[in-house]
Amino acid sequence: MRTFFSVLLCLLPFTAGGQIVVNKPLSPRLTGYDINAVLDPEEHTVNGLMTAFWVNHSSAPVSEAMMHMYLNAFSSNLSTFTAQGRWSAAGNDGWGWVKVKSVTDGIGNDLIDSLRYVSPDDGNTHDRTVMRVGLPVSVAPGDTLTLHMEFISKLPSPIVRTGYEDDYHFVAQWFPKFGVYETAGMRQRETDGWNCHQFHPTSEFYANHSVYNVSVTLPSDFVTGSGGILIEEIDLGDGLKKVVWRAEDIVDFAWTAWPGYKVLTRKWRDVDITLLTTEAALKKADNQFEAVIHALEYLDERVGPYPWPHLTFVDPPLSGAGAGGMEYTTIFTSMGGGAVPSFLKMAEMVTIHEFGHAYFMGILASNEFEEPWVDEGINSYWEQRIVDHYYGDGYGLLKLPFIRMSDTDQGRLSYITSPGHNLATNDLPSWMYPHNSYSTMSYNKAAAWLHTLEGIIGTETMDNVFREYYRRWAFRHPSGKDFIAVVNDVVKTRHGDRYGEDMNWFFDQVLYGSGICDYRLSGITSNKIRSYSGVVEGDSVSYTRSERSSDTLYLSRVSIERLGEVKLPVEVLVRFDNGDEVLETWDGIAGYRDFDYTGTGKVVWAKIDPYDKIDMDVNRINNSYTLEQKYTASRRMMNKFVLFMQMMISIFTL
Amino acid sequence: MSLFKALKNGAVNVVSSYKMILLVWITTLVLALAVAFPLKASFNMIFGSSMAIERLNDGFDIGLAGDIGRPFGAIMASLSAGAFVVGTAGFFLMTFFAGGLFRRFTLAWGGLRVSEFLRASASNFIPFLKIALLMMFIIGAYTFVMIGLPGILNMTVSGSQMPSGRFMYLFYGLWALGLPVWLVVADASRRWIASTGSKKVFRAIGSGFRLLRERFWLSYLTVLAVFLLNTLFIALTFWFSARALPDRGMEVFLFFLAAQSLFILRLFMKAWRYAAVCESAQ
Repeated sequence: MRTFFSVLLCLLPFTAGGQIVVNKPLSPRLTGYDINAVLDPEEHTVNGLMTAFWVNHSSAPVSEAMMHMYLNAFSSNLSTFTAQGRWSAAGNDGWGWVKVKSVTDGIGNDLIDSLRYVSPDDGNTHDRTVMRVGLPVSVAPGDTLTLHMEFISKLPSPIVRTGYEDDYHFVAQWFPKFGVYETAGMRQRETDGWNCHQFHPTSEFYANHSVYNVSVTLPSDFVTGSGGILIEEIDLGDGLKKVVWRAEDIVDFAWTAWPGYKVLTRKWRDVDITLLTTEAALKKADNQFEAVIHALEYLDERVGPYPWPHLTFVDPPLSGAGAGGMEYTTIFTSMGGGAVPSFLKMAEMVTIHEFGHAYFMGILASNEFEEPWVDEGINSYWEQRIVDHYYGDGYGLLKLPFIRMSDTDQGRLSYITSPGHNLATNDLPSWMYPHNSYSTMSYNKAAAWLHTLEGIIGTETMDNVFREYYRRWAFRHPSGKDFIAVVNDVVKTRHGDRYGEDMNWFFDQVLYGSGICDYRLSGITSNKIRSYSGVVEGDSVSYTRSERSSDTLYLSRVSIERLGEVKLPVEVLVRFDNGDEVLETWDGIAGYRDFDYTGTGKVVWAKIDPYDKIDMDVNRINNSYTLEQKYTASRRMMNKFVLFMQMMISIFTL
Repeated sequence: MSLFKALKNGAVNVVSSYKMILLVWITTLVLALAVAFPLKASFNMIFGSSMAIERLNDGFDIGLAGDIGRPFGAIMASLSAGAFVVGTAGFFLMTFFAGGLFRRFTLAWGGLRVSEFLRASASNFIPFLKIALLMMFIIGAYTFVMIGLPGILNMTVSGSQMPSGRFMYLFYGLWALGLPVWLVVADASRRWIASTGSKKVFRAIGSGFRLLRERFWLSYLTVLAVFLLNTLFIALTFWFSARALPDRGMEVFLFFLAAQSLFILRLFMKAWRYAAVCESAQ
């Protein structure tokens, strides 16, 4: 079969009009790359010969190309990545960089003198992660720009996302790659132009879906894996081999090589899943496969199919842990979890999260730089749903007899405890979040308001939103506004005007606003209604108090307040001492609301948001009020603590 | 003396010393409550009339920490400091009371009044403290050699972040089998102090090793048997504590009684080891 693929590959023009991986092109394939590379494991360099193409799909000629040169983020301590982050090279051998040794266009024009580094995000002249290629002849609409390049990449150490450690190599962001040429109207853009951002500590993904034919020559004892399917592995003699991969319609191509990998495979439906792991993490391999399959099943059922027939994931060794937790569409990295006890689903959570990226960023390919919430927020929301669904609602992440935590609560906890959670709006570019609030905002706040949206419109409608989002935007680079448009359309279709003309009122507050959501149940009163005896000529007024009986009437009041700026519709569950319950709804717009009841029952407790739909409420302790507080939970906890301390004293003394 | 007789006589001695055991229990209870009551009061104050306290029903829901906010950090700091103080004070108290218990178990006949028990505890406290610290240091070093070094070797060879595999279980087993040896030495040393009235710690430890040499199997098997029973009992107690979820007032009170009964039993079983070693040294 591999021989067949090799022949087929040779017959194909590199523009990859043919199909090897998928039955028909999933994307417009505006870019493609043929790379012949050689890994020098002693120098930790990759020498590459690359032919790349880009199709001008706009209606105007284009006179320049923009390319990512992301390994240069590791070339000095003044790059935007190192200046914003905390990476520093492990000695002089630790710096990483990529250099173009020669570049010509399709008709042989030497373009080497036209190369310029630019810094569109921050003007940092020391940053060389975006390269402009000046073209002697503009690329006409519909024409293809072809570039032949010779480049050398030096991998950084210690590994952060990409790099090497001894003989472990994780090779990502390693070749010059085209930015995305956006046409007017795409992602609400007003004019045509390149979208090519610098490499940031917080973001690195926005690229075209491309076809990759990659061959790597390296020592025979290295075990390899990549985001492509293996076409062939050729023994070159002298202890060398050549590995040939092909990938179709993915946004980035990464690969890894290490002699110590153990390779395991599983199949889920038509998807071949490969795990590259370590000897020490082998015992966790079943859990890792299970986690990936859970994510595949869950997203397939609720969002859309995983479109590639292959998927590789990596549990890096301890020395390569810096490569963990990353995603490159059809290859992603997790964490081995060999040291993580079974009651803590941390490794499974990381696996599901990174697979989620491979899925959402891989298929939808949003702009992580400009709208990180569309990538991290949506992915965290789904990760939390998947983890809690499969590993236990209420204890998906941690389950012990004394202590527990769900993954959804973990995300919410990170959001509500962060001091910067109400500093900025949630629509900022990744590098613009103040006070190191990027993670809080783009992962956790966004996930919290997506859970809240689900609480408001219902899980079924939310799943429909994502199904429609996938259907409309797969392989088309949606923006946040495109997602909102889908929400508005789906909610309108399913619920009419129940939530207003559209859902913009929600996004204006949670995405484009910085306020917090906090509702408080401020009190409950129940007073016996006195029997009025009457007034006689204005001389006397008398009341009689009746003893309690079945027909005694009470006036009860439940008082609630909105403490935060965010106004959301909330439910209030009210319980009476005769067992009656009333579920009220409040639009949450005014600052307060009193619910009054007259009847034979007294209110004993009331809860705002009784079904925990408003995940972004920053304080749920003040959401309820009871007149029958028993404190049994704290008494029990105290008793257990006492016994625990006594036992510890008796154990740790002779 | 046979193993059975040492265990039996030891058990009889412990049961007849019930007043002293109950005194130890009361002391530890008061000590632990000194931290637990403020902890409970803090939680009650934080939750007030909120029904969110229900989220403590099935163990502590960490998600609540965010809702509690800053007071949670203060509670955790108080809890850590309180646990440290209780642990340290508990160590001294248990060492103190061990002096009285060993004195009781070395008497040829008859019992001790509580005042005599306290006097013996005070009299033996300093040498017992020295022996405890010395033996804990030895046990720590033994643990490092038996578990720490193989673990480091295991992690280095396998590249794992934690020692794992059958190789390590072998060492855990060997460590557990060797631990009673040090307990015999510690108990026999204290028995020597309690019976002779001497304060010479190193002579006492020498006496402990001498008992180990002269009556190895009797003393070792005596302690091993009690050690295994104690280990099982401790595991059972923790299992019970983890699983029990009383949610009504009376049930919580009954849980308190059950938990304290288990701890009293644990104290009896620990004292049984002291008494059995004293018997085996007769």
